[in-house]
Amino acid sequence: MAAIVAGSLSVAAMWAQTNEDFDRGVAEFRAGNYASAATCFVKAEATSPGKTDALLYKGKSLIHLDDFPGAENALRSYMAAHPQSPDAAYLLGFVLHRQNRPSESLAAYTQAAALATPTADDLKIVALNYVLLDDYSDAIKWLEKAVEFDPKNRDAWYYLGRAYYTKGRLAEAQKAFQQLLELDPRDVRAENNIGLILETEAQPGAAIEAYRHAIDWQERSLHPSEQPYVNLGSLLLEQGQTVEALEPLQKATELAPSNAYCHLKLGMAYRKVGRLNDAQREVEKATQLEPDNAGAHYQLGRILKETNSLARAQAEFNRAAELQTRAAGSRGLPSDH
Amino acid sequence: MAPGVALFDYDNDGRLDIFLVNGAPLADPTPKGTIPQKTGSAYWNRLYHQRPDGTFEDVTEQAGLPGAGYGMGVAVGDYDNDGFEDLFVTAYGGNKLYHNNGNGTFTDVTAKAGVGGSGWSTSAAWVDLDNDGYLDLIVLRYLDWDFNDVWCGEHKEGFRAYCHPDFFKPIAPLVYHNNHDGTFTEVAQKLGLAKPGKGLGLAIADYDRDGHIDFFVANDSMAEFLYHNKGDGTFEDVGLVSEVAVDVDGRTYAGMGVDFSDYNNDGWPDLVVTDLANQRYALYQNNGDGSFTYASGSAGIGQMTLAHSGWGVRFMDYDNDGWKDLLIAQGHDLDTIELTYPNLHYREPLLLARNTGQGFVDVSAQGGDVFRHAWVSRGLAIGDLDNDGRLDAVVTTNDGPVHVLHNESHTQNHWILLNLVGHRSNRDAIGAEVSIVTASGKQWATVSTAGSYLSSSDKRVHFGLGKDAVVKRIDIRWPSGIRQTLSNVQTDQILKIEEPVEHISK
Repeated sequence: MAAIVAGSLSVAAMWAQTNEDFDRGVAEFRAGNYASAATCFVKAEATSPGKTDALLYKGKSLIHLDDFPGAENALRSYMAAHPQSPDAAYLLGFVLHRQNRPSESLAAYTQAAALATPTADDLKIVALNYVLLDDYSDAIKWLEKAVEFDPKNRDAWYYLGRAYYTKGRLAEAQKAFQQLLELDPRDVRAENNIGLILETEAQPGAAIEAYRHAIDWQERSLHPSEQPYVNLGSLLLEQGQTVEALEPLQKATELAPSNAYCHLKLGMAYRKVGRLNDAQREVEKATQLEPDNAGAHYQLGRILKETNSLARAQAEFNRAAELQTRAAGSRGLPSDH
Repeated sequence: MAPGVALFDYDNDGRLDIFLVNGAPLADPTPKGTIPQKTGSAYWNRLYHQRPDGTFEDVTEQAGLPGAGYGMGVAVGDYDNDGFEDLFVTAYGGNKLYHNNGNGTFTDVTAKAGVGGSGWSTSAAWVDLDNDGYLDLIVLRYLDWDFNDVWCGEHKEGFRAYCHPDFFKPIAPLVYHNNHDGTFTEVAQKLGLAKPGKGLGLAIADYDRDGHIDFFVANDSMAEFLYHNKGDGTFEDVGLVSEVAVDVDGRTYAGMGVDFSDYNNDGWPDLVVTDLANQRYALYQNNGDGSFTYASGSAGIGQMTLAHSGWGVRFMDYDNDGWKDLLIAQGHDLDTIELTYPNLHYREPLLLARNTGQGFVDVSAQGGDVFRHAWVSRGLAIGDLDNDGRLDAVVTTNDGPVHVLHNESHTQNHWILLNLVGHRSNRDAIGAEVSIVTASGKQWATVSTAGSYLSSSDKRVHFGLGKDAVVKRIDIRWPSGIRQTLSNVQTDQILKIEEPVEHISK
């Protein structure tokens, strides 16, 4: 996510300030040594309070270090002295978004927009705030503006495609992902999502093909995604091609060992081919990773039933039922209730 | 969410008649605690008598069936074994039992029978739970609900929507034991059936073939229930253990309508449950060992139904080829759905899925003009309206007209329609298990008027027979336990079969 605001985090070419610590901080920042940079900026601010942009750059350094509360403090302090700084205002919106505070982030972006026109990247974060608020209509509105501002913004196309997909606007989602593929003909995320769309449109053969493309395209990637593997494996499983499903699901769990869904699906595939010990191991792993996953407890119950561990199976079924009831209750009351 | 429909022969003239449930006007907002009432004939329930020429006449008023309250569903059964089908009508705020007087009129006997109930009742089923020869009554209730001015959906003009069932508490069903004297006793707790649910659909079958009738409850957005009859007068929910409570991934879904019938001709009743778009209708294949396999994906139902929302549903062999197909009433529950999800629809065409013996294929496009119209379909009942051996259907719509689907399939396939009459068993023979053997193989069915959604279907058992002109054997296991066999039965006929009480062979 940090890459999204890379533009905002670059160091300005022109410096009005003269402070040794500040200069050292800038050098460290440029070199990517963000921890040392942050230390220098703290010193600079202590030496000459309010005389440099040290607090602003401390905030930027801390963003690179994923210390968003620290960044927020630095930016707010900077903004107290520089209330007209659009750079700081937009960054504050970003760090609030990263702290999962979408409403506050949106308020910050509104303030920032009064100071300077937002970029496509800013609009993207605004949209993602609406996603966090489950308001996909507004998310789509801002993502459409983002791609209008910057038609080559890949992330914006990707998130726009995802937002359309979530709202069931499949044709528009497909167009967005195809746009992304025009910008990068081997974009794994786009092709994987086209697979999801085809699956939703009851075209399993074409969906399988899309997942396989995505897998091929990331073959030499240093950071391959588990998503096309788990999607392919799940679809093959649903299609009754259980043996074929095993390999992609195994690969998915290798790539994402802490993803409960991957383990769950692999466990279900093992169960179908009669490898009950393997199935139990994988599904137990899923329940460890997500103890409140009712579906995982249900699948474990099924496996234990088949291994004649009936008391344990019943306990898992009971646990699944309890979690389902709790989940239904916790979804809460309507807003005006 | 309503209404229901019943296909039954109330005057024993051999032709099916149609009963339609209707609602009542609602003020906006309606004050909490209101029990809506019908304010005029526009809200009456309706009974249509079928004339000999196949047309229908409205006999509601003379039959004494305008009804009361905000009607939901209907269940047909001869609860007093007098040879005339009675009606139980569910509603919000209290249900009604109408006794068929045998002269074209009905009498409201709710108070005497003690089956008025309370809350928001939905589907009901007549079934002899204890095999004492009299039909008992199961009445599902949807939610612990009252009128309340709650806003759900987006806070924009035109976007207000129905609240999700999660916002309300589940509620126990009502189960009435027939006391044989025109009165009933509520026994849900005693029978182990008081588990709170969000029941909408109800279907019966002896899924483990142990001689005791079981039933399935389609719950909205919580685990579905499969009630196993323990044979000692009590029941237990085995939905999760039997693997029919959730989908293949262990997720709950919005269960609406249900049918319980052997679609793959292996002798074991299977289940189909309709639900909302993006959930896939659930098809559970009975493994014969007390468990089921979620077969929506492998049987083709999953992909066919992913973008659809289903309500009334019945297995029915529309083309008489010996394989039970699926007819499904569809349409999303939210009238605002297209504002937020343009690919989903409040009005949808019906779905006709043909069973090829290897799975189901969507043949709606070949089903005629009736499958091209988009309706807000809800209730669905099936039966042979014109006694020509091809099953017809009646579909209700929300805030719209009823549709009678006349089966005009071009087929030379043979058929048989069995009208069972119980003597030691309940007179309707509800719960009887019927199997037939032809040159092509075996088929099974359970006598029932329940199933689908809020609706009640022709109690006669229909079998499509393909090219087989003779049924080699018909085996019946009556609810009383009596077994009966008929041999070399001619096809293409409606055959009345009386329970042989003189020759008991348990």
